Amino acid sequence: MAKTDIADTWFSIKGWTPYDFQIKSWKAIGSGYSGLLNAPTGFGKTYALWFGVLQNFFAKKKRPKGLHCLWITPLRALSKEIYSATERVSDDLGLDYSIGLRTGDTSAKERTQQKKGMPNGLITTPESVHLLLAQKGYPDVFKDLEFVVVDEWHELISSKRGVLTELALSKLKAINPKLKIWGISATIGNLEEAKDILLGSYGDKSTLISSKLQKKIEVETILPEVIEKYPWGGHLGISAIDQVLGIIHQSNTTLLFTNTRSQCEIWYQRLLEKDPELAGVIALHHGSLTEELRIWVENAIHDGLLKAVVCTSSLDLGVDFRPVDTVIQIGSPRGVARFVQRAGRSGHQPGATSKIYFVPTHSLEIVEGSALRYAIAHDNIEQRIPYIRSFDVLIQYLVTLAVSEGFKADEIFEEVLKTHCFASITREEFNWCLSFITEGGKMLDAYDEFHKVVIQDGIYKVTSRAIAMRHRLSIGTIVSDSMMQVKYMGGGRIGAIEEWFIARLKPGDTFWFAGRNLELVAIKNMNVLVRKSNKGKGAFPSWQGGRMSLSSELSTTIRLKLDEYYKHGKKDKEIEKLIPLFDEQERRSKIPHPDELLIEKAQTKEGYHIFVYPFEGRNVHEGIAAVLAYRIAKLKPMTFSIAFNDYGFELLSEQEIPIEEALENGLLDSEGLSDDVSLSVNITEMARRKFRDIASIAGLVFNGYPGKQLKTRHVQASSGLFFNVFSDFEQNNLLLQEAYDEVMTFQMEQVRLADAMKRMQQQKIIIKELDRLSPFCFPIFTERFREQLSNEKFEDRVLKMLNQLEK
Amino acid sequence: MQIFLRGCEFILLPEKALYKPDESLLIVADIHLGKASHFRKSGIAMPAGAQAADYDALKKLFEKIQPQKVYFLGDLFHSTFNKDWHYFEELIQGFKHIAFTLIKGNHDLIDATLFERLNISMVDTHLEDDTFIYSHAPLEDVNGKLNISGHIHPGIRLSGIPRQSLTMPCYYLANDTFLLPAFGKLTGLYIVDRHNEAEVYAVLPSGVRKI
Repeated sequence: MAKTDIADTWFSIKGWTPYDFQIKSWKAIGSGYSGLLNAPTGFGKTYALWFGVLQNFFAKKKRPKGLHCLWITPLRALSKEIYSATERVSDDLGLDYSIGLRTGDTSAKERTQQKKGMPNGLITTPESVHLLLAQKGYPDVFKDLEFVVVDEWHELISSKRGVLTELALSKLKAINPKLKIWGISATIGNLEEAKDILLGSYGDKSTLISSKLQKKIEVETILPEVIEKYPWGGHLGISAIDQVLGIIHQSNTTLLFTNTRSQCEIWYQRLLEKDPELAGVIALHHGSLTEELRIWVENAIHDGLLKAVVCTSSLDLGVDFRPVDTVIQIGSPRGVARFVQRAGRSGHQPGATSKIYFVPTHSLEIVEGSALRYAIAHDNIEQRIPYIRSFDVLIQYLVTLAVSEGFKADEIFEEVLKTHCFASITREEFNWCLSFITEGGKMLDAYDEFHKVVIQDGIYKVTSRAIAMRHRLSIGTIVSDSMMQVKYMGGGRIGAIEEWFIARLKPGDTFWFAGRNLELVAIKNMNVLVRKSNKGKGAFPSWQGGRMSLSSELSTTIRLKLDEYYKHGKKDKEIEKLIPLFDEQERRSKIPHPDELLIEKAQTKEGYHIFVYPFEGRNVHEGIAAVLAYRIAKLKPMTFSIAFNDYGFELLSEQEIPIEEALENGLLDSEGLSDDVSLSVNITEMARRKFRDIASIAGLVFNGYPGKQLKTRHVQASSGLFFNVFSDFEQNNLLLQEAYDEVMTFQMEQVRLADAMKRMQQQKIIIKELDRLSPFCFPIFTERFREQLSNEKFEDRVLKMLNQLEK
Repeated sequence: MQIFLRGCEFILLPEKALYKPDESLLIVADIHLGKASHFRKSGIAMPAGAQAADYDALKKLFEKIQPQKVYFLGDLFHSTFNKDWHYFEELIQGFKHIAFTLIKGNHDLIDATLFERLNISMVDTHLEDDTFIYSHAPLEDVNGKLNISGHIHPGIRLSGIPRQSLTMPCYYLANDTFLLPAFGKLTGLYIVDRHNEAEVYAVLPSGVRKI
């Protein structure tokens, strides 16, 4: 085989012409660059990097025997696909380049074989790389490693798996400073930053290669014949079911994306009720079904056996499904990137158009169809926010290194400083992490017997086999929810449901799950035993995952699109359709221009209402609403009930709300904002929830290991208990601080909240008194979830709740 | 808070312990001393400060109530022996006039001779008189007597206002069982049912309150 024309040879065998971005990538790799490749799916991005790697290998006079390239993907299913794609090349060209797979599925036998001699190319996951780092002799395994390719980097970057990847790279880079790092990413708003985060600050020459190829996306909104002037989201879009069925029948295979697992179950059932002939050719797919069930569905899609699959984000990512030619999104996708990604699940052939239908779940949501189309055309794609200063992952990583070869503190500190995640940590903070794993935080006295990592001759090591074993089993950052397992009487798992739902059922009751009608037989420990039922009725479970919030990109575009109402000439058909609703809004109140902030006042038998419309998504609204309520309550003591949706929020009180006076007194001031947020929102409760994952990643809590019996009974405690005792006795605990930081960054969206306040402050304020509710405020008025703002003491709140209960 | 169980006076203390004045008997359940140390020995960084607070609270409680007898309803010392025992020894030896009895719980794995050395009598399953049975976990068959036990760590969740709820430890009486809240700081809560036949006494910072 010639040295540098492997790609040309293969492409000419296939009769294909390489794309520009492929040629560019081969050249860049050939000239020793690291970098990030941004290209749409279906155009051969794998080959763009793979041939670069191969050509580098075969250009060598002395080719290494062991590991040459590590290919990291976020999904096991993707690993398999990459494996077959790269094997195909080796087969076609008769290349002597061995390729192996190493994921959670890899058999013990294969692992042992790999231990004896690693293949040249290894396709794996971030967790598996850390498991390799937890084995003795890893520096030898990686000594000749020249390439790491991180696939679907956009997916990893905004999760702690991205942090795992960064840390693994810092180690690999330390073993072989000549290592080149490449990433593959879909289009996101911060590609340049994504590249910098992946590549770390090692000072390598780098490049960002963006393919000019655009996947064509066609967006069609399913419009109701007559629109409701008073939008209400309760029907989950089911009223469009006839149109949806029509689309399913016209298509080969359709994916229907819903936003929640519960909605997925309901849609599946309604489709079957409406069209019983779909039985057998329709399936459902979501994250609470067992892996076996999900894999079965995925294979059935592949084999073209299914007409439609109702799914959730569980199918956002994964291998290409060739038979899929149509995608339907039910309800707001809440972000442009998510919508584009889902659209891309159809039309895989290069040059094919991806068609996606959007089904609004209430009339005001119709405007999002128009906004999404505009945002896609103008490349308004969301940024992915990386995790920084994730001390839980750092602690896990330090123990991983201590389990295998041991480490020297100074060396590792220097290494982790080069990652984006830990670039800003101080030596004191690093030392705290060291003390956490060697002394268990603050030592009280000489009786303390804390034992985890020990220091021998300056080397940090784990000497206890039990601790090493437990650590290896808990490597990773994916924390499973504590849910009840649903099983048939005769065995056979179906999936997992949250405890509170099951607690409401008695044996003999039926419910829907996994598209099946099930009868509850008994509850044993964390297992729910069921049998199939023919009753055909029962409740649908729901899962309490966080509700998504409208992204900044989408909300900005919505504000822009609303203004089209005032413009003359041709409008999008979504806007045309909404004119009766807009007319009604204009008659009762107003449609705000982009430079205006609309505030509506109303009085009903429930009390005095204030509605405000920043159009910033529910997360930001939750924060702003609480701050405003808090600031108004400083003028005169009062209690508010708060409701919000993605478009606006409501403050409700028994007393008249002095909004004008509050505005004059700096209601919208940015000054003191973050103090007021922490005083008005129940940050502690949110942090406690975030701490669940943190405690588990940092090794404080064990989640049980499937199929592995470990004696952990006497060392089991809940993350909530750790949160409480840390809060009471170890305020300076960095893990505790991390939980609060995550709340501010990801839940309160601190930066966006501040920007929104600044924008509102500059907007012209329009106050409208309503004699009847307006179309804009109606969906907020009917929100079931309400928050209470209260600065009363714990005791008083208990007494109040008791009084309510006694009524 | 004073209540009457089977006609007998009991005080529900806000310290999460039960006092029976006629016998000068103090009853404490699920203290889990040594738990932090046990975790720490296994490499889990449970803050030891929480445990120190438990010793402190017990000492204050003994001084305040000055009982003649104390029943520990199990899970007194968490799991196997560790050096925390020194603190326990120190505490018990400060109250030589009190007759201590430990009714064994599932986490009490320490050798009985160690307890005997401290003059703590050890009982394997339960203690009973004409009216009451004291045990760690609630017993199934109590012959119409009232079973006073621990093990469950009962707690109650109050929610009046939507999406707001508060949890707190509680005493819990249902049928023939009276449950004590767990005394130790390093314990969690098991949220109990508030069905109609049950009486729930919540432990608030200021005192115990019937719900």
